[in-house]
Amino acid sequence: MSAFASADEFREVMNRCFSMMSEDPEMGPKLRDADTPQRFEFTDADLVVNIRAAREGEDGNLHWEWTDEVDWEPRVKMTMSTETCNRYFQGKENVAMAIARRRIKTGGDVKAALSLIPITKPIYERYRDMLADEYPHLRV
Amino acid sequence: MTGELTLTEVARRAGVTPPTLKRWAESGVIPGYDGEWTPAAAAHARIVARLRERGHSLNAIRAAGAAGRLAFAYTEDLFPREAGPYSLDDAVRETGLEPALIERIYGAAGFSSAQLERLNDDDLQLLRYIAAVLAAGFPLVAFLQLVRVYGQALAQIADAEVRLFHLYVHEPLMRDGVPGMEMAEEMEGLARELLPLASPIMDAMHQRFLAHFVEQDVVGHMEMDLEGALDLGRLRVVIAFADLAGYTRLTEELGDELAVDAVERFVEAVENTLPDDARIVKTIGDEVMIVGSDAGGLVDWAVGFQALVRDERPLPRIGMHFGEVVYRDGDYFGREVNLSARVVARAAGGEVLVTRPVVGAAGNHLDFELIGEVKLKGFSEMTELFLATMGEE
Repeated sequence: MSAFASADEFREVMNRCFSMMSEDPEMGPKLRDADTPQRFEFTDADLVVNIRAAREGEDGNLHWEWTDEVDWEPRVKMTMSTETCNRYFQGKENVAMAIARRRIKTGGDVKAALSLIPITKPIYERYRDMLADEYPHLRV
Repeated sequence: MTGELTLTEVARRAGVTPPTLKRWAESGVIPGYDGEWTPAAAAHARIVARLRERGHSLNAIRAAGAAGRLAFAYTEDLFPREAGPYSLDDAVRETGLEPALIERIYGAAGFSSAQLERLNDDDLQLLRYIAAVLAAGFPLVAFLQLVRVYGQALAQIADAEVRLFHLYVHEPLMRDGVPGMEMAEEMEGLARELLPLASPIMDAMHQRFLAHFVEQDVVGHMEMDLEGALDLGRLRVVIAFADLAGYTRLTEELGDELAVDAVERFVEAVENTLPDDARIVKTIGDEVMIVGSDAGGLVDWAVGFQALVRDERPLPRIGMHFGEVVYRDGDYFGREVNLSARVVARAAGGEVLVTRPVVGAAGNHLDFELIGEVKLKGFSEMTELFLATMGEE
């Protein structure tokens, strides 16, 4: 069972996480350059988020919307629970192992997803720090 | 730099007679010489002497110098490798180590024992550090292995540094037609700036890796205690070999450079996805050898990895076995390692083949299809091989 108090809390934490990645001077531009629109579905919270590189005139390096009603097509699709997502951003969920254990289901261009893994690794420490400071009940 | 050296001194350093050196200088084979023996001219004289020993003509050496092909040699001056005044006996007195032990340590490091009769101050300091490690109580048998690993790893690092500097600094300068002496000065300047940075970078990386492996060792010890102690120097590990199916054909079809790019992408993908307890021990061409402590975790990784790279071509193939191995000199040896290497040879692209001990350690979320008992090359007994997949949902 997920440690998130509610779907709203999950969304709040993920918004903070995506913002950290978007605004990070190292990760942000790399993710923008990678230009890989992704769709994440969180089964237990009944939530979907679509995330892509920011367009000209948009703030930050990433843009995301919590809906499927978006004007772009995802290149990578991932389905997981909020718990798996939380573990992943803490560096405690290995993507390849999670796929074999059916904790993550992939679709689309998984090769593109593979190339994003090393770019996003620096988020683990920052995400853990955020949880320690503000959401200690989510630490694993 | 001003001329501070005499003809006799430069000749001594180059290992030739003063008249020979004078003749070389007059023939224009030493571009830095304009009536004064500067350190740069002396360095070039040493290069000329070495090339003459190898049978190159003065005309060929002159042309190579003018084209900048010898420019890299000037960076040699940054390494004070002058033979020192100390003998092995001096080192014994200074460190308290036995002469035979010093010779063993030098041999393990990959140094020539002949150097032990002309040690310099840096060499003596190195031996003092070594004596301090042993005095602190670190077992000699382990320390000799460690010195061998240091020697091999650092030799590989130094080789890579020189080759990459050559490929990405020296050759572009030559292609740009930079004059020989100008090129030598530019390279010497860059190398002088970079050299002091290499050790702190390596030290910082070393500390990070140490912290990682200490953490993994704690987990390994826990599992060893649960499963019963092994003989000294033996470990129970899972060994995986992975390579690219059809790689040889790929080199034929795409050429070496593109095929090497494919290998780099493959190795990077492995590195970026491996679980924390596993690491790449070595790569040989398109093959990687992976060792981990958790067989169930590594077979999960292998099956998940194949799913992640399913659109790549060529497809990887992975073979895996779990057993006791001998750990020596930073590497893993023994029957079980050899068996693991044979397993991958039976796999097709996209497949993960494993032995029964791996199946026993794996979780029940994977399917293992027995594909048969096979006689692996070099093994008298039959080995059961299983195809690991995610199976039906």
